[in-house]
Amino acid sequence: MTFDITDFILKDGVKHWLWVFGSVCGALLLASLLLSYVVTGMKGPGKVIKTILGGVSDLYALSLKRVFAIASLTIKEVIRKKTLVVFIVFAVLFMFGGWFLTGSTGARGDLEVKNFISFALTTTSWLILPVSLLMSCWGIPEDIKARSIHTVVTKPARRLEIVIGRILGYVVVGTGVLIIMGFAGNIWVHRQVQKSEEAQKALFCRVPLYGDMSFFDSEGKQSEGIHVGDVWDYRRYIKGATQSTALWEFEKVTSDILVNDKLKIEARFEAFRTHKGQMKEGLLCQVFLENPVTRKRVKLPVFHINEFTQNIIRINRKLKHYDEKEKKYVELDLIDDMVFDNDINKKENILRVGVRCIDPGQYIGMAQADMFIRYPDRSFDVGYSKAIVGIWLMMVLIVSMGVSASCFLKGPVATLLTFSFLLVGQGGFRQFLNEFVDKQVLGGGPVESIIRIVTHYNQVKELEEGATKMVAEVIDSGFFYFLRIAHQIIPDFSSFKMTPFVVNGFDVSWGSALAPSIAITIAYVIPCVLIGYFSLKSRELETK
Amino acid sequence: MNNLSSKNRKYIYLLIIVLLYIPIMLLGMPATNESEGGNLAQLRKKYDLGESAIGNVDPSSSTMNLLLLGMRGIATNQLWLQAEHYKNTKNWAGLKSAVDSIIMLQPHYAKVWEFQGWNLAYNVSAEWDSVEDRYYWVKEGGKFLARGCKRNEKSPDMHWSVGNLHSKKIGRSDEWKFFRKFYIVDPDEDSFSKGPDPEFNPEGKDNYLVAKEWFDLANEKDKIVPQHIMIPVLFRHYPSRALLDYADTLHREGRFGKASRQGWEDGHKELTEVYGRMRIVVPPGEIMLEADSEDIKALAEEFAPPGSNEDELREYGEELARWVLKYQDVANYRYWRARSSIESEQMMMIAHKDVYEGQQLYKKGRLIQARRKLYEGLSKFVPTLNQISQRNPGLNINNLDENLTEEIILAIIYFTSTYELNGQKPPENYPLKEIVKGRPDILGRAITEFHFQNRSNN
Repeated sequence: MTFDITDFILKDGVKHWLWVFGSVCGALLLASLLLSYVVTGMKGPGKVIKTILGGVSDLYALSLKRVFAIASLTIKEVIRKKTLVVFIVFAVLFMFGGWFLTGSTGARGDLEVKNFISFALTTTSWLILPVSLLMSCWGIPEDIKARSIHTVVTKPARRLEIVIGRILGYVVVGTGVLIIMGFAGNIWVHRQVQKSEEAQKALFCRVPLYGDMSFFDSEGKQSEGIHVGDVWDYRRYIKGATQSTALWEFEKVTSDILVNDKLKIEARFEAFRTHKGQMKEGLLCQVFLENPVTRKRVKLPVFHINEFTQNIIRINRKLKHYDEKEKKYVELDLIDDMVFDNDINKKENILRVGVRCIDPGQYIGMAQADMFIRYPDRSFDVGYSKAIVGIWLMMVLIVSMGVSASCFLKGPVATLLTFSFLLVGQGGFRQFLNEFVDKQVLGGGPVESIIRIVTHYNQVKELEEGATKMVAEVIDSGFFYFLRIAHQIIPDFSSFKMTPFVVNGFDVSWGSALAPSIAITIAYVIPCVLIGYFSLKSRELETK
Repeated sequence: MNNLSSKNRKYIYLLIIVLLYIPIMLLGMPATNESEGGNLAQLRKKYDLGESAIGNVDPSSSTMNLLLLGMRGIATNQLWLQAEHYKNTKNWAGLKSAVDSIIMLQPHYAKVWEFQGWNLAYNVSAEWDSVEDRYYWVKEGGKFLARGCKRNEKSPDMHWSVGNLHSKKIGRSDEWKFFRKFYIVDPDEDSFSKGPDPEFNPEGKDNYLVAKEWFDLANEKDKIVPQHIMIPVLFRHYPSRALLDYADTLHREGRFGKASRQGWEDGHKELTEVYGRMRIVVPPGEIMLEADSEDIKALAEEFAPPGSNEDELREYGEELARWVLKYQDVANYRYWRARSSIESEQMMMIAHKDVYEGQQLYKKGRLIQARRKLYEGLSKFVPTLNQISQRNPGLNINNLDENLTEEIILAIIYFTSTYELNGQKPPENYPLKEIVKGRPDILGRAITEFHFQNRSNN
């Protein structure tokens, strides 16, 4: 489980979008005015303003009837071009997918179910996205080439309506295909898990409430946790039989979160042993609840951790606590006595949960997402449907970008451009771009890299001071500036990936997955429509 | 350009295609029941290089390879990177799936099977804390390698790797006591109803006996396709070594009786009558580790240059005898021959039993009885070890094998500890005291083992 659990902040997102959108529009307007002035003199800027006003007028006169008519023509065209043959590939993959996946993880049904879900969702996205990309990039250029677009533009249909109608038509077709694929994939997953009881049990969606996490070292001071040498720096460790503690603070903990007067906490810890210890048993773990305001700490029963699986801790609302002052056991209420407010941070209803390792010389590893409070579970179908929505949003974005690109480019080039955006916007490319923009990549920019290659300089050593370095840095800063702009413009597709949530048995998070995906889609569809409209309006349709 | 019309050019292209097709057809025509096929098919048959001759044919694997055309290498590399990523990020389901995809593309690349089989059985299993989970991944690695053997029936290396996993990973790892139990009664009781995992141990045998079968198979394969792991004299000794380890492990587990004695007898027989009589190629000819003077004479006559006289034959025989001694040293043959012979005797078994019982009494806190048993056990080791030395000149108490040395040193630690716990000094002299000074490397290990056994009661 490695997906991001950080919530998306809409307010900040909108601000950032307005800033980028406003800057780009402003820059384009200025460039257009200057260019038109240089080319045609004083009349030029007037024409530019007239075109923009024409756009506003087109937007005002937008007819949904005409948009739907163009969308319906687009749907008919797609069906006529036999694009739906993609279903055959889909059917073949699902007919034989089970052969390759069943038994790949031995008898472990709980592991096998991950492969089934991953296969169903990955296949769906890998089939629908390229088809949507090709459909959207080739439609308008083909119409221009065949001159069939003349039959549309000579009608009272406005070019804005053509762009929106095209996008809508492709989205409708893609949605239909996606619904059928999603439905078939869901049935396929359910059929595959029928073979194993273990797999059936693993088919559900947990709804987590994550908290903020902090580490404290052996002396009780705040720290970053211990690194035990894992290549993967995801988890940090606490040392056994010391004050070393991992502390979580969960917000918004009220009695509503309790199920049958019990709080359900799930933990997924990892063990690291410096000696064999009790091999028969897992490492011992102590969980406690703490209220810093009343200075009350309730220790829960210790338990042996099970790695890479769920350790469920059920806490009764009524807690037994040994009061040191009164020298007797007293009863505490989980919500009334242990939940507190932090006036400094303006946080309310906080529950603080601490974890310690009991075994001396041993370590327990954890990350922020490794402990969470569980709301009542949801059906697998809910999480699966949300993951399909994620694919749908990505498809809408690709269609918008494809149609927009096809308004000013020919089919193959539009395809290449959209595909490049898709490629650079996700996975390793996006990560590399992020690192490059943040200047975390060693070796500098392209010019510096060329110098290093030619002079056999390694990436760590600083270049020698002098004119060469200065020139390289100046030219590279230009590249970096361009990359920073590209970084702002190219959409981040990583938040559209909702498959890891479902594969790991979680419901797709609204805050960290669905909300940013919807926001990104809307944020890109608007400029795509505008770019498409102005490009189509200024394009000479007689040119093939 | 030329005066040919487009149509004529196409006719010429067609003719060239047909002409080029003729040699392709002659070379690549597949074999059928009626014909031997083209040159390539005939060569494939001659050198046993056909897909079906190498091992079982997996239709899905062959289909994948065909569909990828020449991109198989790129796809495999990508999957390999993906598998490494999954391993580093502890995505075990993804890792297993990626590994399965790799072998689908590279079914006859032995190193892929060996590397990834080891990865699952050793590296992935070590990432888990629970012994049951670790065993699960050891099994996965073992099953994976066994599948590899089916796809590559001629590979002695892969068969040896499976045998090595069954013997060493199950029988000699830190978790060996648990793993050996799980080997017979799988911890997943729901799936295997208190029996072994049939895919890993189909007949429910001891791990060393299963390992012996794999090593036997490896030796068989080695006769056809040479192995590439170690020198032949060592490679061939693994079946007998598996039997000796089996008997030794029964003692380590405190299982003294008919089975353990039989184990030593079988091991001795396998060592001297099968391994010892195997022909081993050396520069002057061939030797056998169990060769007596008559055998040496016969071998000299067989391999000496034709027309050699009596003296030359004698000299040739002496040369072969030197090679026998040299290779016996390499395989520690004389030690194991003497040890297995002595271990089959009643006195040695009682010595092991006394030491084992002494340790158990110590753990129960019965120090006086423990001390007595340990002393008796150590005393009984003395005559048998003397016998080993007598039968093998040059072999002494300081160069015994590690298992036996560790057992004796551990017994001495237990013995001296029975005094220390009572606040007494251990006696100045007791049997085999000198072994402790001679093997400091094993002393450290034995002390760790002593603390481990008494801290966690493992």
